[in-house]
Amino acid sequence: MMAENTSAAPLLEMRHIHKSFFGVKVLDDVSVSLHKGEVLALLGENGAGKSTLIKILNGDYTMDSGEIYLNGQHVQFHEPRDAEAHGIRMIYQELHYAPDLSVTENLLLSELPRGRGFPGRYIIDWRQAREIAQSRLKLLDLAIDPDVHMRDLPVVERQIVEIVKALSADAQIIVMDEPTAALTPPEVEMLFGIIRNLCAQGVAIIYISHRLDEIFEIADRVTILRDGQHVATKRVDEVKLASVVELMVGREIEARRKTLALTGQESQVVLEVQNLTKLGAYEDVSLKVHAGEIVGVFGLIGSGQLSLTRSIFGAERPDSGSILVDGRECTIRHPQDARNAGIGFVPVDRKVQSLIMGQSVRKNVTLSNWQRLARMGFFQQRIEKDHTRHWVDSLGIRMAGDMEVPIRFLSGGNQQKTVLARWLEANVRVLILNEPTWGVDVGARSDIYDQLEALAQSGLAILIVSSDIQEIMSVCPRILTIYRGRITAEFHRESVSKDELLAAAAGEAV
Amino acid sequence: MTTMESTAAAGSRPTGLRRFLRASEVQEVLALVIMLALIVLVMASNSNLFLSPRNIINLLMDSTTVGMIAVFTTMLMISRGLDLSVASTAAMCGVIIGTSQSTIGLWPGVMLALIAGALVGLINGFLVTFVGINPLITTLGMLSITRGLAFVFADGLTIPVFDLSGEHQATYTAFTQLAEGRLFDIPYPILVMSGLFILGIVLLRYTTYGRAMYVIGDNEDASFLAGLPVRRYRMIAYTLSGLSAAVAAVFLTSRLYAADPRAAPNIELTVITAVVLGGTSLAGGQGNLFGTLLGVLILSSLLNGLKLQSVSTELQNIAQGLVLLLAVGIDQVRQGKIDLGLWRLFRRQARASTQ
Repeated sequence: MMAENTSAAPLLEMRHIHKSFFGVKVLDDVSVSLHKGEVLALLGENGAGKSTLIKILNGDYTMDSGEIYLNGQHVQFHEPRDAEAHGIRMIYQELHYAPDLSVTENLLLSELPRGRGFPGRYIIDWRQAREIAQSRLKLLDLAIDPDVHMRDLPVVERQIVEIVKALSADAQIIVMDEPTAALTPPEVEMLFGIIRNLCAQGVAIIYISHRLDEIFEIADRVTILRDGQHVATKRVDEVKLASVVELMVGREIEARRKTLALTGQESQVVLEVQNLTKLGAYEDVSLKVHAGEIVGVFGLIGSGQLSLTRSIFGAERPDSGSILVDGRECTIRHPQDARNAGIGFVPVDRKVQSLIMGQSVRKNVTLSNWQRLARMGFFQQRIEKDHTRHWVDSLGIRMAGDMEVPIRFLSGGNQQKTVLARWLEANVRVLILNEPTWGVDVGARSDIYDQLEALAQSGLAILIVSSDIQEIMSVCPRILTIYRGRITAEFHRESVSKDELLAAAAGEAV
Repeated sequence: MTTMESTAAAGSRPTGLRRFLRASEVQEVLALVIMLALIVLVMASNSNLFLSPRNIINLLMDSTTVGMIAVFTTMLMISRGLDLSVASTAAMCGVIIGTSQSTIGLWPGVMLALIAGALVGLINGFLVTFVGINPLITTLGMLSITRGLAFVFADGLTIPVFDLSGEHQATYTAFTQLAEGRLFDIPYPILVMSGLFILGIVLLRYTTYGRAMYVIGDNEDASFLAGLPVRRYRMIAYTLSGLSAAVAAVFLTSRLYAADPRAAPNIELTVITAVVLGGTSLAGGQGNLFGTLLGVLILSSLLNGLKLQSVSTELQNIAQGLVLLLAVGIDQVRQGKIDLGLWRLFRRQARASTQ
């Protein structure tokens, strides 16, 4: 549906954008252009610079240098408000709406129509509000009842209401960040219908997604970023999926693969999950992890993998199935049971789910090992310090000051190492990691991969759950794919292609 | 320029006394010491009686009910809990002693009161952790229930607790001694309160229970996912809070020779004011008992001084309310929820300098 006006001046141009954080280049001379009525897919791995670029466009970050032109005019965005005034709208992965208010109220939140005169001007004119809401929904041919509470709508319709809300006033550009992450295939089709409708009305879309198949369906052009640099911009009908992947990833995968020979498999099974089922989340999952092995579970976000790992760790209750450690069945009802059985868990969001931000490195490292460090409830302080020092040295945790420094002063990578140290200190046999490098920059990422490989070599059984295909392919010799809560296939890294993995994770028969 | 210098100085590791003085907890305690000194100075300059040994003992005796409870409220609030029911639970426990003296006897009544206090705490803990009701609402409900029970048990009357028949003189003398007895000239309640503070400091600093309070209050999810039995720790904290109310009630009843269903009016507010004033964060994860002790002393000096100058109870209540709001305001600033405009100013300058 790309408009014929490619030759016309672009709607948006971002020229030679540079941005560094603390001396690390995140965007290095990136230029992007966007035409009226087109869908531009922004591709790149985690940490490639996509979100930084978008945040600069939205006025969340100030660029170090570079220029932004809108309709040929030079513009400067200092705050999200500035971008909004120029018709730029963001639709984030997590939606921001009031679940207990009606669609009408959500659409007109700040501009509910009111009556006239003295009391009238303080009273909302609900009939008019409803009419406005309905007319806006009609613009996109939507059959959503404006009186329904947001909570009662299916996720895709909530998302669409958000889009309608973004459209409310003179939107020129809509940025969608992983809009389909929580949607089922028919819902995705519905969303795409809306997007096509918008483009027909002249709105331009910047579309960010990890699902490459979608890109080929909806986008007109792709712009690919890698390590903060612009790699290529191509028309979708001129490229193939494989070449896009190659452009995104570079050659790093091949290089890494050789560093690690086959491990595990011959050794004993440490973690075994049998027929684990939790209705609505995952079904009949069976898997084994051997000592010294790294097993990856690859699936798109929302495929049930999060709930699965939380269940193995006792943070959620499965409906049926069993979990065995070293061949013995364990009753795991609480993370404490899992830890006692020798299972450690590294959740996605370390700031929210792992770290005690106000407490010291020492107290964070020893958090899961109180039973062995305290006698009659009293900490044996010298032993605690010795143990902490051991992990700080052996994992190379770097911090300003000593181990009494609050953990919040450490960098993301060092914080993540502290979380690893916690489970090593607790002497676990199995480590389950959820998106282990989410929000970790490129350099620290390979550091963490090295650590994980070293830990596996020392006999730990490691289960990594990730929606990042490159991460899975570069650290996990054995890969399982999960789709809609079911394990769909098992692969060996040496004998699988990215396409095959993606297909299995997208539920297509292999 | 000055900020540059001070961050540079903070980067080089200070040792010993300087490092100790720079710790923010220590600075907060010092600020409280200065506040206490100022109040004492003002009160003493207005009244000769204020610094008399007798008044100081009185002042400290008055602070014991609040102090004994505040030790455990501090721990509870560090773990991001809250207990508003302490004062009415104390009143109920007092009444239990009063009503049971004629049936099961005085000391068994004291035991029963302690058990009842702990039980109230246990129920609070259960409702908060297992049923998931907000602690404010749970303990507000319990405040109403236990105060109501106190009136029901006592038929609305004040029950004398002394030897009416003259048959159990030894028993009652011993009970009265709880409040009146002295060791090295210091009344027992003051010693018990001091003992509880020391116990609390040891618990918070050296034990798994104490660390659990800080860790759970800072990040409950992370504590759970690290394998800590979060619910069990919370239950213990609420139970100790209820038990401390019962202990305070025993000494209060002994001191008053009576069990009054109206006893300890608004004491929960005084307790929370003292704890928050002492630097325990409403957001959890932070706090210490030195601060709470100073908070208790500041409040009782203030109220005692006002009383000496014949300021009415109503005005005392107003003063106490102001201190609570002040303390909470300070806490908000400390948590960075109020930026006093400085942050915005800084951002504007940063933007100006980048362009």
